[in-house]
Amino acid sequence: MLEIKELSKSFGGIRAVSDCTFTLKDYGITGLIGPNGSGKTTLFNLITGFIPPDHGEIRFRGKRIDGLLPHEVANGGIIRTFQITRILPKMTVLENMLIAPPLQTGEKFGSLWFKRKTIKTEETENRTKALELIDLIGLSHLKDQFAENLSYGQQKLLELTRGLMAGPKMILLDEPTAGINPTMIRTIIELIVRMKEWGMVFFIIEHNMDVIIELCEWIFVLDNGQKIAEGRPEEIQNDPRVIEAYLGV
Amino acid sequence: MNVDLFLHLWIMILIYIIFAMSLNLEVGYTGLFNFGHVAFFGVGAYTSALLTLHQVPFELALVAALIVAGFSGFLLSIPSLKLRGDYFGIATLGFGEIIRMVFQNEVWLTKGPMGLPGIPKPVLFSYRFATLPQYLLLTIGFTILTFLVLRFVTRSPMGRVFKAIREDEVSTAALGKNIFHFKIKSFVIGSVFAGLAGTLWGHYTTFISPGDFTLLETILVLLIVVLGGKGTEWGPIWGAIVLIFFQESLRFLKLPAEWTRYLAPLQQMIFGSLLIFLMIYRPEGLIRGKGGR
Amino acid sequence: MSFLLQSIFNGLLAGCIYALFAMGLTLIYGVLNFVNFAHGELIMWGAYFLYLFMGTPFGFPLPIALIPALFFTILLGIGMDRFAFKPIRQANRLTLLIAALGLSFLLRNGAQLFWGAELRTYGFEIKRGWRILNMSITINQMAIIITTLICIVIVYLLFHRSKLGKSMRAVSDNLELARVSGINTKKAIQFAWILSSALACVGGILLALDTNLQPGMGLINLVKAFAATLLGGVGNLWGALLGGIIIGLAENLGVLVISTGYKDAIAFGIMVILLLLRPPVLYGTQE
Repeated sequence: MLEIKELSKSFGGIRAVSDCTFTLKDYGITGLIGPNGSGKTTLFNLITGFIPPDHGEIRFRGKRIDGLLPHEVANGGIIRTFQITRILPKMTVLENMLIAPPLQTGEKFGSLWFKRKTIKTEETENRTKALELIDLIGLSHLKDQFAENLSYGQQKLLELTRGLMAGPKMILLDEPTAGINPTMIRTIIELIVRMKEWGMVFFIIEHNMDVIIELCEWIFVLDNGQKIAEGRPEEIQNDPRVIEAYLGV
Repeated sequence: MNVDLFLHLWIMILIYIIFAMSLNLEVGYTGLFNFGHVAFFGVGAYTSALLTLHQVPFELALVAALIVAGFSGFLLSIPSLKLRGDYFGIATLGFGEIIRMVFQNEVWLTKGPMGLPGIPKPVLFSYRFATLPQYLLLTIGFTILTFLVLRFVTRSPMGRVFKAIREDEVSTAALGKNIFHFKIKSFVIGSVFAGLAGTLWGHYTTFISPGDFTLLETILVLLIVVLGGKGTEWGPIWGAIVLIFFQESLRFLKLPAEWTRYLAPLQQMIFGSLLIFLMIYRPEGLIRGKGGR
Repeated sequence: MSFLLQSIFNGLLAGCIYALFAMGLTLIYGVLNFVNFAHGELIMWGAYFLYLFMGTPFGFPLPIALIPALFFTILLGIGMDRFAFKPIRQANRLTLLIAALGLSFLLRNGAQLFWGAELRTYGFEIKRGWRILNMSITINQMAIIITTLICIVIVYLLFHRSKLGKSMRAVSDNLELARVSGINTKKAIQFAWILSSALACVGGILLALDTNLQPGMGLINLVKAFAATLLGGVGNLWGALLGGIIIGLAENLGVLVISTGYKDAIAFGIMVILLLLRPPVLYGTQE
C-alpha cells in the first residue's frame, strides 16, 4: 500500500532521512521504531507532505505522493496524528469530529447557497457517525465541551477517533501512547485493535516497546535516518543491530 | 438628546457593526491578522462614490463597490497569505497605508487630498434614502442582511473550517483542508462586507477624502471586534455600540477652542491603551464566549 | 549619468538608515520571535527625544543631546517590553500583535499630543560639503554614513565578541535550550531591547536629519524595515543590513521611473514581489 523508495532529506548538513526504502503491507499494523532523533517523525512529515523530500519516491496505492501538499495527501487517503496531540482547543468535541470528513459539500461557498439539501443530508449523516464514535470512546458527556477542557489522554483519544472519522485508507500514528497513563494506554490500544478489525491499516511510531510488540505484525527500525532492520516483532527484539542502536545512543 | 443626533449615532453604529462583523470573520473566526482592513472600507467608499458621481445608478455602484473591494482583497491575499501570522499582519498594515497613498496620489481619479464632495444619496429601486430616518432604515436593512449572511457562513461547514484554521492550521491541513484557499475565501468575504460598510459610510457623509481612511479606522474597528469579543456573533455589535457611542459623544463635547487640538490624539491614546489593557487583562472581550459558539 | 550616480548615492544613504531600522527590528524578532509593531514608534520617539533636548528649555548641542535621547529611547524600549509585552509573553500571537499595534497607536498619538501633527526639522542649515565624482555630498550626509558604519562596528563587536552577544545569539537560536544551559535569558532579552532601541533611536535621528519629523513617521518605516528583514532573511542581523541597503537603493532608483508620491510604496512592492515568488509557508512543525 505504501512504498518508499530511496527517500532522503537533509536539514543543513544533517541527513535526517537517508536513502530509505520501505514497503508496507496492505493490512494490519506496522511499527516504526528507533532511538531519539533517528528520523521517524521526519519520515512521517515526508510521507504526509509537510516536508518535501530531497530525493526519492513515495507511492501510495500505486500513485506517487511525494511533493504533494499535506491536504492533498490527506485527501488521497492518509491521515496522521501528531506526537504532541493537536486537537482544536476552542471548538467542541463534536466540532472536532465534524471537521474530519474530507471534501464536505458545505465547505464550498457556492454550494452553501445552491446545494442546501445535500449539505443538510451530509451534516446529519456526519453528525450521526460522529456521535456514535464519540460514544464509542466514552466521551458522550463531553461532546459539547471545548476540546481544551479534556485531559491529555482524552485528547489523544479524540485525535485518534477524529482520524477514523476522516475515513482514510491508512492512519499514521505518531507516538499514540506518549505522555498518558497506563489505563488510557490500554484504552487506546483496544481502540486501535478494534479499528484494525474494521479494516484500518496503521503505521505507528512508538517508543513504548510493549505497545509495539503487542500491536505490530511487522516493524521497521530506523537509526540515524537509515533503515537498519525490519521484520516481525520477535526477530526485531533479538536483532543485535537494533539492540546496539538503542544502547549505543 | 435630540432626534437627529440619535439617528446619526445609530447610523454610525450600524455602519461600524457591518465593518466590525466583516473583520470579525477574518480575525475572530479564521485567525487572520488583518491590520489593513480600512483599505477595503476605503475602496468600497471610493468606488461607489466615483460611480454615483458619474451618474451610475446606486444599485450598480453598490454591486461594483462590493466586487472591487472583494477583488482587492483577493489580490492582496494571494501574496500575503503565504506569510506566517505576524508577517501577514505587517503586510496588511502596509497595504492599508499604500491604498491611502493611492487615494492621495491618483488625483485624476480620486481628486487626491481635495476629496470627493457631493456624493449623492442612495436610490434603491426608485426609493431615495435622503433623510436621516430613511438612511437609518437603509442601514438597518443592510446590517441585518450582513448579520444573517455572515452568521450563515460561520455556522456552516465552511465556517467550521475557518475556525479550525484559527485553532490549529497544521492539523486542519492534515485533515485534507486546503488552508490557503480557505483563508482567501475568508479574506475576500470580509473585504466585500468592508466595502459595503465603506459604501454606506461614503453616501452618508457625502464627502470622502484620503484622510478618512487611516490607521485610526483600523484601530477603531479592531478595538470594536476585540472589545466585544472576537469570534462571537454578537461581539461586534456590542463593541460598536460602546465605542461609537463614546467616539461620537466626544465630538459633541463643548470644549474651549484651544483644547480641541488635543482631543483627537487623547482619544486615540485612549483607544491604544484600551487595546493594550484588553490584551493583557481581558483578551476575550466584554462578551464571554460560552462553551459553544 | 551624474544624476544616476547621485541617485545611487542617495539610495545608499537611505539604505544605511533603513539598515539600522531593520537590524533593530530583526534583533527583537530573533530573541522574542515576534515582529515588534511598535518599532516604528521607537524610531519616531528617538528622533523626537533629540528634538526635545536640543530645543528649549534644554538647548543642548547635538552630540550632548544625543545622550539623553538614547537613554530615554532605550528606557522606552525596555518599558515597552516590561509593561506591554512581558505580561502577555505566553499568550497567543494575535494577542501580542494587537497589543503591539495598540501600543504603537498610543505612542504615535502621544507624540502628536506633545508636538502636534506638523512637520518639524532639527533646523540645521545644509552646509556645503564636497563634490566627488560630480555628486554633491553634504556634511550631514557624510555624518549619516559615518554614524551608520560606527553603529555596524559596535553591533558587530557586541553581538559576536561579547558574552552578552553570545547569550543573545543562543536565545535567538533556542530559548528553552538557552535557559536550560544556564544562560541568563532575562538579561539577554533586556540587552536585545537596549540594542534594538538604540539602533532605532540613531536611525530615527538620522532619518529626521535627512528629512523631517512627524508623528506618523513610524508606521511607514516599520513597513520598510520589515521589507528589509524579509529580504535578508528574518532573524538574520547582517541580512537585515543588506536588505536595508537594497530597499534604499530600490527607492531612490525607483523614483527615476515612477511617481515620487509612491516612493514609500516601493519597499512594499518589493515585499509583494518577494512573496509572490516564494511558495506558501509550509505549515511545518515549527510554530
